[in-house]
Amino acid sequence: MDPFAILGVEPTFALDLKVVEKAHRDLSRALHPDKYGSAGASERQMALGKVIEVNEAARALKDPVRRAEALFARGGVPVGETEEPKPTPDFLMDILEQREALSDASDAKDRSAIAKLAASIRARMKTAEEALGSALVPSAAVESLRPQLPRLGELRYYRRFLDEVQIQIDRLDGVDSREA
Amino acid sequence: MLLEIFDPKAPPRAIGIDLGTTHSLVAFVRDGRPEVVADCDGERLLPSVVHYDEHGQALVGRGARALAVEHPRETLVSVKRFMGRGADDAETRVRSPYTFAPQDAGGPNTVRFALRGKTVTPVEASAEILRTLKRLAEDEIRTVGGAVITVPAYFDDAQRQATKDAGRLAGLEVLRLLNEPTAAALAYGLDKKVNGTFAVYDLGGGTFDITVLVLDDGVFQVKATGGDSALGGDDFDRAIAEDLIGDLGLDATRAGEPAVVRALLDAARALKHGLTEHDEATVADPTGSGTSKELRYTRARLDARIAPLIARTGVACRRALRDAGLEAAELDGVILVGGSTRVPAVKRFVAEVFGREALADIDPDQVVALGAAVQADQLSGQGQNEVLLLDVLPLSLGIAVGGGVVDKVLPRNTTIPTTARGTYTTQEDKQTGFDIHVVQGERELAGDNRSLARFLLKGIPPMAAGLAKLEVTFAVDADGLLTVHAREATTGIEQVVEVKPSYGLDDETVERMLLEAIDHGEEDLAARRLAEERMEAHRLRSATKKAIDTDAHLLEAGEQVAIEGALAEVDAAAAGVDPTRIHAALDALDRASKPFAQRRMDRAIAQAIRGRAVDDVAANVTTPGPGSDSNGSEGSVPSEARH
Repeated sequence: MDPFAILGVEPTFALDLKVVEKAHRDLSRALHPDKYGSAGASERQMALGKVIEVNEAARALKDPVRRAEALFARGGVPVGETEEPKPTPDFLMDILEQREALSDASDAKDRSAIAKLAASIRARMKTAEEALGSALVPSAAVESLRPQLPRLGELRYYRRFLDEVQIQIDRLDGVDSREA
Repeated sequence: MLLEIFDPKAPPRAIGIDLGTTHSLVAFVRDGRPEVVADCDGERLLPSVVHYDEHGQALVGRGARALAVEHPRETLVSVKRFMGRGADDAETRVRSPYTFAPQDAGGPNTVRFALRGKTVTPVEASAEILRTLKRLAEDEIRTVGGAVITVPAYFDDAQRQATKDAGRLAGLEVLRLLNEPTAAALAYGLDKKVNGTFAVYDLGGGTFDITVLVLDDGVFQVKATGGDSALGGDDFDRAIAEDLIGDLGLDATRAGEPAVVRALLDAARALKHGLTEHDEATVADPTGSGTSKELRYTRARLDARIAPLIARTGVACRRALRDAGLEAAELDGVILVGGSTRVPAVKRFVAEVFGREALADIDPDQVVALGAAVQADQLSGQGQNEVLLLDVLPLSLGIAVGGGVVDKVLPRNTTIPTTARGTYTTQEDKQTGFDIHVVQGERELAGDNRSLARFLLKGIPPMAAGLAKLEVTFAVDADGLLTVHAREATTGIEQVVEVKPSYGLDDETVERMLLEAIDHGEEDLAARRLAEERMEAHRLRSATKKAIDTDAHLLEAGEQVAIEGALAEVDAAAAGVDPTRIHAALDALDRASKPFAQRRMDRAIAQAIRGRAVDDVAANVTTPGPGSDSNGSEGSVPSEARH
């Protein structure tokens, strides 16, 4: 399912997220189950299916990794673990070192070190996103897309790193969802 | 004064219920404005207290509250804190006057209060409160046509399910479980006609929620939510009570007597209320054991005592802002909800966290019920359909895989309704069953999260490890409730999955309770089914008529005749007394109008997309590049030209 088509927004990586938000809201206004409360069973079911599609599309487009995936798929470039080139050993080694540094900072409860690591990864993520932004445009041809695949791989690593940062911050904050 | 004349044909009206830890309220929309129903004494807040008398009859409200000290075990206060929790929950181990029944081997894992020689579940006690509210509403509007019940945004699946079960048990058609902060924002947004980004800080008697949401021309979109479903004014009371025990020098035995516990908690609450206006408060010593006849407490002591509790809300606030991708300074306002936000230290803390004074100009006790009434009005098709609430999943949902590590299938703050799928495989050769453990929470290890359900997917054909493809699909509806499906994809074998909820009651138990609650058994059940089918007939009939009137041009030749034929049969069936016939007629109408409904929906989608395209062009004149077929879905949409 192409999230760009579902939301009716221009298929480009450098997307104004406000446009996605607006599309999401406009379509929700038209399709939300609340609007079909008094409708028949199959109409309610149809609306529910559509609104789930719209919610999912909006979520995908707001996530740079999934936004890039959708654009590669649109351009006829398959994505996924088996399709994408393996990251270089240098890159992997570097990420590994960063993760170790994060783990050390977390053990030392050093919030400013965590923030510094996160900022450096965020900066690298931004660079990768800018590269994708100029390549993943509506008119892009398959041959110009394929060389960009390693950027997508990088994004995945960066995002996983930033997720880990959140987990560590939550841990330091003592946020605990366990109530049982 | 207007006299309301009894009209037997008065259409049923939907109600909004705030089922609170301390108080509960019911509201409905009259002449376009929500109002809270008052009882015959003019009181709008019904204490959420249930007393069981020697015959096992329940008494709810102020009368029950008055009996709490004399009958501490038989009078359930703050029952909401126990909703959706297991028999061994930490909540059962804090100081309270209750006796808990041990977990019933093989029975559902739920808290059960032992009183008057029987056991009562939190769901049953809550149903008593809901029944009382329903009766209160019926005095005003004759026929109640469905209810929106509010829940803390941070309630997990088991707590939500328990609330819905309580509604069913009370004989209510639960139209929606609505998150309390969202309900409050709805009441605020409509009343003040504002747009912007707001934080709702909701600290009630037993639960805390923080919600960040955007109000945009009638759309209330939640960006992030967080909280603690076991943190509220009750914890302040307990903290004060612990101090009072120390001040009075009570020994453990005396301090554990149910009547003493209840009396001290009541005294603590009175002191807390007194300290809202004054620096020092006194109450009569209910235990009669101190040297003075009075108990004294200062605001400075209260502030110090509850500081760690309030600090916990700050962590959740900062995380919600982070999840929403916002700084506190970017908010347009902060809204205070819940009685505990009257505590001066809480107000000060909120102002500090968000760097501004919060709004509290709608009564923080009533604002949730008012919002719920508006939503009920909308859902029942009575309202103007001018608002839309887009809420989120409060806690991540996942599957525990090998080694008890959680694979997150749906992250927190995902807009609902939604679906997601996780794919797994077998770990051993010839493995024919797959144990699926569904958990909710943010932690990496299953054991640190809330267990929602466990089930076994059976009948997988024997194959080598790693070959089977198990697809587990999560679907979360607009109530925030989860359904799980599992199938083995290589064989296409779909298994009907028995989900055994880890906490709370199973469907069978609720059905049995429902039957027991109905005095005349079968007869009433049949009457109820007939009433429900008739209501559904009424609803579908007017919706279909309206659709034909407004969109006649979307009807194809012969379609109108078929739909009107089906409508006539619905009318004829609804005039009779056979619910099965009404049901069949409604099914037939549904089938006859399905293609028409499909066309109307496609047009709505096309209009929503096109409407925006027009806005965009007006805002910045750009020429779409080649391939920027921004109306990708338009291909499947019948254009107006077909008519």
